[in-house]
Amino acid sequence: MAKLSCAGRLKLLLFLATTGLVALLVTAPNGGGTAGSSALDKAMERELARQARAAFVRELYAPVTELRDAGRPQQALLKLEELARAYPGDPFGLVLRAEILRELGRLDQAIGHYAQALRLNGEFLDEQGPFSRRTEIRLLVEEGLATLLPRFQSHPDNRSLAATVKEVYYLQSRLAGGCE
Amino acid sequence: MTRRFLLLLLLSVFFLPGCDRLGERPKMKIAYMNCNNERETYQRFAPISSYLSEKTGVEFETVVVDTHEFEERMKAGEFALVHTNSLLYIILKEAVGLKLLATEKRGAFGTHTAGALIARKGSGIEKIEDIKGKRLIFGPMMAPSGYLAQYDLMLAAGIDPERDLAYYAIPAGAFKHEKLIYAVYFGDFDVAAAPVLDLEEMTREGKIEADDFTILAQSATFPYCTFGAAADLDPALFDKIKKALLDLGPEDTAELDGERLKVFKTSWAEGFEDLLDSDYDGLREMARRANMPPYQSY
Amino acid sequence: MNLRDRHLWLVIFAGLALGSLGALLAVWGNPENSGICVSCFLENSAGALGLHDNERMRYLRPELIGFVLGALGSSLLFREFRSRGGSDPLPRFFGGIFLMVGCAIFIGCPIKLFLRLGAGDLTALSGFAGLFVGVWGGLRTMVDQVRLAPARPRRGSGLLVPAFFLLLLVFLLSGPGFLLESSGGSATAHAPRSVALGVGLLLGGLAQRSRLCVTGALRDALLLGRRSPLLYGLLAFALSAVLVNLFGGVFRLGFYGQPGAHTDQLWSFFGMALVGWLSVLIGGCPFRQLIKAGEGDADAGLVVMGMFVGGAVAQSWGLTATAAGVPLYGKVAVLSGFIFVFAWSLFSREDKTC
Repeated sequence: MAKLSCAGRLKLLLFLATTGLVALLVTAPNGGGTAGSSALDKAMERELARQARAAFVRELYAPVTELRDAGRPQQALLKLEELARAYPGDPFGLVLRAEILRELGRLDQAIGHYAQALRLNGEFLDEQGPFSRRTEIRLLVEEGLATLLPRFQSHPDNRSLAATVKEVYYLQSRLAGGCE
Repeated sequence: MTRRFLLLLLLSVFFLPGCDRLGERPKMKIAYMNCNNERETYQRFAPISSYLSEKTGVEFETVVVDTHEFEERMKAGEFALVHTNSLLYIILKEAVGLKLLATEKRGAFGTHTAGALIARKGSGIEKIEDIKGKRLIFGPMMAPSGYLAQYDLMLAAGIDPERDLAYYAIPAGAFKHEKLIYAVYFGDFDVAAAPVLDLEEMTREGKIEADDFTILAQSATFPYCTFGAAADLDPALFDKIKKALLDLGPEDTAELDGERLKVFKTSWAEGFEDLLDSDYDGLREMARRANMPPYQSY
Repeated sequence: MNLRDRHLWLVIFAGLALGSLGALLAVWGNPENSGICVSCFLENSAGALGLHDNERMRYLRPELIGFVLGALGSSLLFREFRSRGGSDPLPRFFGGIFLMVGCAIFIGCPIKLFLRLGAGDLTALSGFAGLFVGVWGGLRTMVDQVRLAPARPRRGSGLLVPAFFLLLLVFLLSGPGFLLESSGGSATAHAPRSVALGVGLLLGGLAQRSRLCVTGALRDALLLGRRSPLLYGLLAFALSAVLVNLFGGVFRLGFYGQPGAHTDQLWSFFGMALVGWLSVLIGGCPFRQLIKAGEGDADAGLVVMGMFVGGAVAQSWGLTATAAGVPLYGKVAVLSGFIFVFAWSLFSREDKTC
């Protein structure tokens, strides 16, 4: 057998490795066999974690929802205070707070809390999803632009109005989409 | 000779401006409405005065004043600034032309607050109509969220507080708002006129639970405690004070009796906002309906 | 401008295709004003490969694969594939990271800058000013004798990045279990895969043939004025984007409420200035780096790898700006980017006496 040159040896090794790779891929079972199942498990785990989180949040805030449904928004707000002792700054708590405050006539506070919640978690803007508040935020922005903007335009030096209008624009920008 | 002169000049450059500043620093008084008691009110608000002194170069003295003394002492020109509840603000605006500086932020409603009528859960009192013939405890008479708001709520529901209740009372001494919530909780009274902010704070502190009470009615929100300035205050100083208040953040400190304190932490405030006088119109309407000052008629 | 110049028309055609297809991709499903955004796509793709922890930014963008493989195909077809490299490799890698930082602060690459402007987003004006100043600054440093080490022919190394993108194509088509995909957020907004890949391949090929580059166009405009063909390509790109947005009913002129934009004008300026400056030093905007990587430039390939890492870092470390504004550490990162650029320039002067 003719002795291979240095380049020839390398070419042979390259050919063998490539052939081996192709053969492995062609003969591999669908999904990569048992060793590859960990990747599939990851997808399952992610979905499980998502659903578990949704269920946990629903259960955690169920008393608040019940009080709101019973037409007792202030007590729902107090219940949120109680829950905030254990879960301060939770974005879903902020969204509920925003909704109650809007119901009680505090538009500026509602805008602030929605904006704060969205900064922490963008899922409230998703069209689909367990916590979607897209419609509510759109309506809030429309109301904010209709009521707060004229006030700000007639008092352009007012810092508090400027800050609230800036939050309305933030929500409007998030609603408009684009990259996050 | 020249050296001595130069040394003297140098020393003058260092020390004279300081002497001038100390000598010229104007003095003014800020009146703070007495809340729970005089000592606590002073301890809460003196750091704000100190902070404003640092920011404006004016030496502000903290004075704790009872609600009924404000009008007379403002008319006498005693105070440059006042920190009062929103009802007193509109009274003083009518009486002495008080100018709106900034509104305090505290609690879930931010710059606003509200009053509620509450009963103990399970007492059988479920709605506002049920309070006829019951024992009610109000907050102080000049408290917009502990008296005026609830008085107005009852009138709106067709209940005359003077005739339709078994009787009503106002607690004596300090911590009136907490006292009236406990008075209902322990059954001494059937109904209380509770400020929503106090319910919120007591819930947050774990003193009460959200389910302990039934909220029978709740007023619309109106502005919370307010900083106002005397009508004749120098406009430049007014702007400086306003800016200092609006800039005040959770990390800002002020010196009091040799100690540096966090202003928000000691004053319980969560910020100051720039409201418009028209934001107080809802409260004005409430005072008119309840025949309360500054619109009282006999 | 020589109207008989075939290259000029090719550049204009490529510009028209980039602008119109860029705007149309947003209509077909990509995020608003983000039909094509190299930096956003790299962040999405880095997330899909598990390189960062933002669950809402994970999607292997087919356009990216198309750009590189389109350029590869075109360069092979027209015998322009040249495997080369060895010019300041590591600084280029870090340059790629800082390119992504600049883009993350502005929220978008130079192509997206024009797509945003083309949709009426006036907040992008400060970004444009920054990009222009950055390109001018980069040119000034070149005038000041800053020269990177020359690239040399290197057999094989130019194939690595195209091979990596071929692997990504395999991932895209086969969808292995480890490939991550967001269930919410802007990463879920995407055109159909086949359309995105087709557009990417077409634009990759066109850009390879025409040498279209946003920062290159600005650079040439500064150097050659109206004689620069790339300038007309850029104008065609911007004009077609405006027209498609106008006809598509998505043109909305204003500063406020714009998608994927913030009003921290100063930092938009700085972000794009960094991108412009770096792009001149390394020979092209992020898009051009992908195209060059496709035609065998291993140095550009390293920039692309740096951009992948930069995309992951920007997301994981929370450097990216959002509609709420620019975070503190994003600002720190941009200024660090400038320090890097100036230091690199300082060390790369040919004439050390000036």
